[in-house]
Amino acid sequence: MKLTLNIWRQAGPESEGQFETHALDGVSEDMSFLEMLDLLNQKLVMSGREAVAFDHDCREGICGMCSLVINGEAHGPVKGTTTCQLHMRSFSDGDQIVIEPFRAAAFPIIRDLVVDRSSFDSIIMAGGFISARTGSAPDGNAILVPKTDSDKAMDAAACIGCGGCVAACPNAAAMLFTAAKVTHLASLPQGQPERQSRVLSMVKEMDEQGFGNCTNERECEAACPKEISVATIAQMNRDYLKAAIFTD
Amino acid sequence: MSASSPILESNSPTGPIADRWANHRFDLKLINPANRRKFSVLVVGTGLAGAAAAATLAEQGYSVKSLCIQDSPRRAHSIAAQGGINAAKNYPNDGDSIYRLFYDTVKGGDFRARESNVYRLAEISNQIIDQCAAQGVPFAREYGGLLANRSFGGAQVSRTFYARGQTGQQLLLGAYSALMRQVASGGVELLTRREMVDLVTVDGVAAGVIARNLVTGEFERHSADAVLLCTGGYGNVFYLSTNAQASNVAAAWKCHKKGAFFANPCFTQIHPTCIPVSGKHQSKLTLMSESLRNDGRVWVPKDNTDRRTPSEIPEDARDYYLERRYPSFGNLVPRDVASRAAKAECDKGRGVGDSNLSVYLDFGDAIRRDGAPLIAEKYGNLFQMYEMITGENPYKTPMRIYPAVHYTMGGLWVDYNLQSSVPGLFVLGEANFSDHGANRLGASALMQGLSDGYFVAPATITAHLASGKVQRLNTDHPAFAEAEAEATARSSKLLGVQGGRTVESLHQELGQIMWDNVGMARTAEGLKGAISSIRSLREEFWNEVRVPGEASHLNPSLERAGRVADFMEFGELMAVDALAREESCGGHFREEHQSADGEAARDDENFSHAAAWEHKGIEQPKELHKEKLTFDYVQPSTRSYK
Amino acid sequence: MRGNLGRALSASIGKKAWMAISGLLLVGFLCAHLAGNLLLFIDQDGSAFNAYAEALSSNPLLPAAELVLATLFIAHIALGLKVSSQNRDARKVRYRVSANHGGRTPGSATMLVTGVLILVFLVIHLLDFRLDDSTHGDMAAAVRKRLGSGSGAWTYGIGIAALGLHLSHAFASAFQTLGLNHPKYDNAIQLAGKGIGVVLGLGFLAFPVILYFSSGAA
Repeated sequence: MKLTLNIWRQAGPESEGQFETHALDGVSEDMSFLEMLDLLNQKLVMSGREAVAFDHDCREGICGMCSLVINGEAHGPVKGTTTCQLHMRSFSDGDQIVIEPFRAAAFPIIRDLVVDRSSFDSIIMAGGFISARTGSAPDGNAILVPKTDSDKAMDAAACIGCGGCVAACPNAAAMLFTAAKVTHLASLPQGQPERQSRVLSMVKEMDEQGFGNCTNERECEAACPKEISVATIAQMNRDYLKAAIFTD
Repeated sequence: MSASSPILESNSPTGPIADRWANHRFDLKLINPANRRKFSVLVVGTGLAGAAAAATLAEQGYSVKSLCIQDSPRRAHSIAAQGGINAAKNYPNDGDSIYRLFYDTVKGGDFRARESNVYRLAEISNQIIDQCAAQGVPFAREYGGLLANRSFGGAQVSRTFYARGQTGQQLLLGAYSALMRQVASGGVELLTRREMVDLVTVDGVAAGVIARNLVTGEFERHSADAVLLCTGGYGNVFYLSTNAQASNVAAAWKCHKKGAFFANPCFTQIHPTCIPVSGKHQSKLTLMSESLRNDGRVWVPKDNTDRRTPSEIPEDARDYYLERRYPSFGNLVPRDVASRAAKAECDKGRGVGDSNLSVYLDFGDAIRRDGAPLIAEKYGNLFQMYEMITGENPYKTPMRIYPAVHYTMGGLWVDYNLQSSVPGLFVLGEANFSDHGANRLGASALMQGLSDGYFVAPATITAHLASGKVQRLNTDHPAFAEAEAEATARSSKLLGVQGGRTVESLHQELGQIMWDNVGMARTAEGLKGAISSIRSLREEFWNEVRVPGEASHLNPSLERAGRVADFMEFGELMAVDALAREESCGGHFREEHQSADGEAARDDENFSHAAAWEHKGIEQPKELHKEKLTFDYVQPSTRSYK
Repeated sequence: MRGNLGRALSASIGKKAWMAISGLLLVGFLCAHLAGNLLLFIDQDGSAFNAYAEALSSNPLLPAAELVLATLFIAHIALGLKVSSQNRDARKVRYRVSANHGGRTPGSATMLVTGVLILVFLVIHLLDFRLDDSTHGDMAAAVRKRLGSGSGAWTYGIGIAALGLHLSHAFASAFQTLGLNHPKYDNAIQLAGKGIGVVLGLGFLAFPVILYFSSGAA
């Protein structure tokens, strides 16, 4: 199939960016979206241009490295799918595709479609862990975890940290990402000792990183490639308010 | 290659195997907690091994610096492991023990691993589960709240712990969170989007690395009293593999060129259940969990001219070749056996699909027996993924699968302390060669990465730090300037060629040579041909590669070019090693060495050793060092799955 | 964390919680307001409605109640504007194409617009009936006159429609913000939110519609 691509190009964080239009022929419907970009890049390189920079790594939907807003949708039009698992059979011959980077003040653009998501690492650093020194753990079965709690923790822990929630949020909020980690750890008995300090400091860090506020529009949930539920956000709000009001 | 090859000592402890690790730890020197912060440790890579090691060493009080090639430590490719992690807990009370896990791993590795290491791995496996549970890894649970186990990869006991189909992800996120806790507290300095481009040694001792800041393009010098290399495997030498795009051999290869021996590079694991290649555009292969073989039946049409759709092919025109050849294990034979059998069928022209390079994995019988809902419950997400990638619905038509490169058992040679032949350079996880022998069992990779990272290296690092060899150099030492100048020159050279071929096309060509000749079945003739093809391709690479852009900004083409350039050198060593190993064992199958019925024929008399290659210059023959493998506990026997 | 209550409640989730609480209290006020207004339809001469208006305005607690109401309105509006401006700052460069992923609703996408419309309407409404002394005495007649006119009916119709749309997202959103949500109750709360929007919206809308068409102006 033949496509017309409108791609955001930007030389560096401080540079002005603009859209560039490329006609691309010879796209197979069995290609993944990123393989389609590989094809474009090979053509660009052979014609003496620079390749479009985009983030990607595992190409099997788990590392969270790939991004892109495709025709206005984070990770493209297919539900529960990362860009790397999106295949060209979701598009038709002659389509126009607009490809933009994830846009958020807290995700500054590095180059072209590559953005800096280290603000997510900062949120995790603020408390997205259980302090368990290596070697000091009790037997794995010493602490029972009800299956329902463990399943709930796993649902939230499935987050791949891609930032699609931020990209899709009308306010560029990081609530779903933060809430997923808060809920994962709050659902387990091991996570209880630090539960209150964790939610307070993670939310504080989230605010400081310049993410927006949640207006409960649920675009994040709809765009999340791992379909993390906004129930985690309710849980985080609940934990946060409880901790803010009642913690010593 | 001759009997006069130098002999390599592993520093393995002796004595009763169950006491070796405890005794060894007691014999290792300790460093006073107050003094530890004076020692700097550089950890390259943030996968299971790297993140676990960096976090643990920082907890102990060392000054740790961690380099990560992606934008965040959480992206490391350990994240993609699906199935699970083994441990000898024996929670299901089905006869498992540390000794049995040890035994199975030595045997599964086709008797090409070091017994002491494997026993230690089995011993530590239990602590790993405890540690990860304490970190909040959401392992599968039973209704009573206890940890759940399943049987995996044909094991006869249920010793695999898992977190849905995302065990690697959850374990990595556990290690990542431990690492980030240390970054927050100042114990670890984390540098992301950094690629190690050279090892710096002074008087043969590791003194630090040169890294490229991938965002600014600058080369940076990082000195350290010890360097831990945790950079994963080299499967991408085949171009197509289940590895991530950034997975590469460059860091390990640079260490090799600076004196670290590379052991058993020809031991690669080809996983039988991957989604077949759909065309030349393909950039990666996707693994489907091998649990699919529990219910799926593998077959091809008996007649290689039979082009009917699978549903039109009647039972008597199908060959369920695994069930026919291996009546007792059937579809559940180990990975290496299943992969080779699929290749054999395709070589006979009986492969299916447009390319004739795939075989059917049919769930028709299972769906008729158990009903689609039960099958969906077990494999729903895999079926969905398959449909997403291929556009075919596996509930209606059989899946098509083909083997793909998945894991590399070979790696830098290390002694029992995980220290390489360069003092001060430790190698952990898939990057080393140590624990899996010639074939890795399912659910053992995660176990090894975490064992090395959380427990082994943090204990054994004092073998160097307290040895008196630590030089306490800073980056002003001329060795850093020299290495940085080399790295800069190489990058300019890559940009300067401006030839007529893309990095990808050259990599693809290398991959094809490797797959055809150093893949599932190897012959002396093919390997010799591969060596000369690789050499001429390497020459073509340096004359014809076209790398756009500059070195002074984020330039993925340049990054890729550097990695492929190293694969061009490394591929040759793989072929050399495969040629030298005149036997078939595990993932290494030499067609000249097979039994009458086509099974692997091992040669314990001549090849019961790890082959560790020493670099002597890129156009010079490598020198082979042999580490003799002795088996005090598990007597080598022939693996049979008939 | 002791002593950080103020800081915690001024953070993103804190601000949203204040908005949710003030919003829910305002919904309570609207319910009472609608119930009182319905007295207008009880009789022909408006005496019930006038008696109610008189009772309200002569109540000694009225100034205190009005102060509380004013505080709620101002807090809700001020926080809303603050949150919106922060949200704009969080994405300085907009997308060229912005598609709905499937979460947004007409109500949720227009909260700021409907909020501003409601504010304008509120000012008009206060000028019409609270600050205009000439209406005191026969409030019912004043209402009939204002809402029975074409311009009055349109003004009130638009203001009330904005209110209904605002509420269709606001109510459920407030529960989510306060953490009073769970997958078990989510559908019920969503439905209740839409229901409140429709009931209050249609309830209030009945006034301009009925009064306009019965005034003979149509």
